[in-house]
Amino acid sequence: MPLDLSRYLSLFVAEAGDHLDGFSRGLVALEQLVRDGAPPHQVKPQVDALFRHAHSVKGMSASMQLGGVAGLAHRAEDLVDLYRAEPSRVEAAGIDLLLAAGDALAELVDLASRGEPAEPDLALVVRLSDAVRRVKDGRDLATGELTVRSGAEPTVRADPPSPVRAERSAGTAGAESRHAPPGGAPLDSPSGAGPVVIEAEQPAETETATPYSTPTPTATPTPRPPTDPPAPRPPTPTPASTETPAPVPPPPAPDPAGLAGASPRRRVLVEVEVAAACPVPAVRAFLVVKKLGALGLVARTAPSVDELKAGRLPGRRLSVHLDTSEPLDRLTRALAQISDLGHVALREADEAPAPPVAPPAATSPTGAPPAEPSRTVRVRTEILDGFVDAVGELLLATARIREVGRALPEVHRPPLDEGVDRLHAIVKDLHDKVMAVRMTPLATVTERLPRAARDVARRLGRQVEVEIRGAEIELDRAILEELADPLLHVLRNAVDHGIEAPHLRLLAGKPATGHITVTARRDRDRVVLEIADDGKGMSAGRLREAAVARGALGAAQAAALTDKEALLLACLPGVSTAEQVTDVSGRGVGLDAVKRTVEAVGGTVELESAPGVGTRLVLRLPLTVAVQPVLLVGVGDEILGLPISKVHGAAHVAFASLDRSRGAPILPYDGELVPVHDLAALLGFPSDGRDDRAVVVAEGADGRIGLVVDALLGQQEAVLKPLGSPLSGVAGLSAVTVLGTGRPVFILDVPRLLAA
Amino acid sequence: MAKRVLIVDDAIFMRNMIKDIFAGSGFEVVGEAANGLEAVEKYKELKPDLTTMDIVMPFKSGIEATREIIKHDGRAVVVMCSALGQESLVMEAIEAGASDFIVKPFKSEDVLSVVKKVLGDA
Repeated sequence: MPLDLSRYLSLFVAEAGDHLDGFSRGLVALEQLVRDGAPPHQVKPQVDALFRHAHSVKGMSASMQLGGVAGLAHRAEDLVDLYRAEPSRVEAAGIDLLLAAGDALAELVDLASRGEPAEPDLALVVRLSDAVRRVKDGRDLATGELTVRSGAEPTVRADPPSPVRAERSAGTAGAESRHAPPGGAPLDSPSGAGPVVIEAEQPAETETATPYSTPTPTATPTPRPPTDPPAPRPPTPTPASTETPAPVPPPPAPDPAGLAGASPRRRVLVEVEVAAACPVPAVRAFLVVKKLGALGLVARTAPSVDELKAGRLPGRRLSVHLDTSEPLDRLTRALAQISDLGHVALREADEAPAPPVAPPAATSPTGAPPAEPSRTVRVRTEILDGFVDAVGELLLATARIREVGRALPEVHRPPLDEGVDRLHAIVKDLHDKVMAVRMTPLATVTERLPRAARDVARRLGRQVEVEIRGAEIELDRAILEELADPLLHVLRNAVDHGIEAPHLRLLAGKPATGHITVTARRDRDRVVLEIADDGKGMSAGRLREAAVARGALGAAQAAALTDKEALLLACLPGVSTAEQVTDVSGRGVGLDAVKRTVEAVGGTVELESAPGVGTRLVLRLPLTVAVQPVLLVGVGDEILGLPISKVHGAAHVAFASLDRSRGAPILPYDGELVPVHDLAALLGFPSDGRDDRAVVVAEGADGRIGLVVDALLGQQEAVLKPLGSPLSGVAGLSAVTVLGTGRPVFILDVPRLLAA
Repeated sequence: MAKRVLIVDDAIFMRNMIKDIFAGSGFEVVGEAANGLEAVEKYKELKPDLTTMDIVMPFKSGIEATREIIKHDGRAVVVMCSALGQESLVMEAIEAGASDFIVKPFKSEDVLSVVKKVLGDA
């Protein structure tokens, strides 16, 4: 019964995506480690993790029958595997290639998620295969030049450029990549246009002095064709790292069948043929040897165990000389448990058996166990959002009950209030827990940053290092999702316009490599996120000029700004001091978008900079967006909400008595002159026209503004719900909430109010 | 009685797939593990008749887990489930005591035939 693969698609996409994210991040981290000359014990876990990611993606996509995806992942895995064997081979060109492969794989997975054909770019596959061959040959990836390394003699190959081994037909598909000859693009190589080299070496039949199952040095020199690459491991036999060497002959193991003496020990010749359908015949043959080894002493195999381990089983045929006292039918039964055996023949040989030496019991060194992994459950984000919505509704419903209770006669109210209080406490607790589930470490967005910075830096010929601190700090997932792109933009900006070219940095007395620090910390109910670079900084003066030139504000207004305020001019649309707005970024092209996004989630943006020293962007973000304190105001018959994060204060004024500048009323507030707007007029509501009204001073798009309202109704925790279509398109509105009375209240988007 | 199976793979979707293959074929999936550490723990707890074991996993590889399981219970039947291309790892797993192996991608009938054979039911 064929499996319905579509059932697994969404999990596949999610899990493969996680692996590919890890793959890209790991590559950048690896490059950094290698550049810093990190010791092997730091490099190895990183390469191992990369291998795991690539291998998992390959296995997953193969299981989803996405052959093209699996093929590309396979090439990436092969290259990583070479790095695993010899981390000193890691170089920028290889990392570039693997990053490109990771990106391509992510795209393919995305295509697959939409049910579209996912076939990799063949050029990329070929480049990876070439890279694998070059790394094996000891050639530098970037230049193609031969690099000589101690301990590994480079081999100059006279082979055709793109040989493909017909591994399946040669019965060597099991070749581990480092045993495979150079250019051994396995199986389904798309570079199959090249000449096919079929290995036709004779199987080496060797008498093994010890049973195969004693710890076998994996680096035992094996007969190799002359074209083989130098063995990546030292030629001196070392015990396989995973097994304990047996310095003394091991004690005889108990007879596996408890039949000691039941039958005289004699030599049995076992011949098996591995079924053609088996993709890895050498492994299958190895399993046969192992199985027989449990029933006697394997005296000789053809091909030898080393050949099998190198993936070679010519003709898919294996013969084993076994010294055993087991009856033939027991051997037959044991072999019957092994799949994929086409033909099995057993006969007693004439040769005398070797003196019995039982295989040693397998021992394993037990290292310190790694940390217990945390147990987690993957929950679809829609379900999580559903919880938040439901809890929000519960909060509102509770408030509604409380409101209705006010209408009850006094005698009935205490028990009801008690019940409602209890309900409210439970719902509040539930709300906190649900919000805690939504909290996601900042790492989910910051971990992409080093990679992105590296890409930009390489493209521009800069050197940059990104340091991330406080990535464990948690924020509402909804905020993080909004933040991902702006952060990326700010970072690219920092590399493109902040960090100078290496020679300029050296001239300025700074290290050639620029440093960008992304720091997060908790500050009461906010998260402060700083992105600081040690680049050339921004000039307040030039920003003033640029803003005036763009007509964003008058020369006098610009001059009146403090330097700190002037820097924020970079956030105005179209204001940039970049000599050239590159394809990467231009400060000002997009900083306005960053500011808008941050403010939309209830955050604020500050910019600090000193020419020659660097730039620091400070984002202050709320922990969560779903519940925000709002100031309720009355305008005519309407009630509206203003996010407290945007409100500076309020004052009662006689509207008519306000000074006017160019026809608009001006309110002196906190040492500033704040332009005042009538909210009713802005929104087109009728106003009662009283003269004694309240002014709320709030943060507008270009500084503070005063909003005239009819009444201040107090502050309230509001469960904000995003606006659905068509209201989501209305400028000046950001969300809606529902009061305890059941009355819906719109939350104003203050910065965009005036633009509306 | 239905043979009891423990499924070890770090990908949930692979576990689901393998689980679906066993479901309705006379097997009872009694547990799942997402890495080698969990695998050893669950094996000791559940004593399954059969364990399917991914090789490349975080925290502890399927090879190490197999070695520990075999050390704990010499009669354990562990079938490796590995993607094509790292055959040396499968060999290592066999050395560690695995009873058989299945190469990803696999068809459900192949999986069932391998495990039935290895359990001696074929």
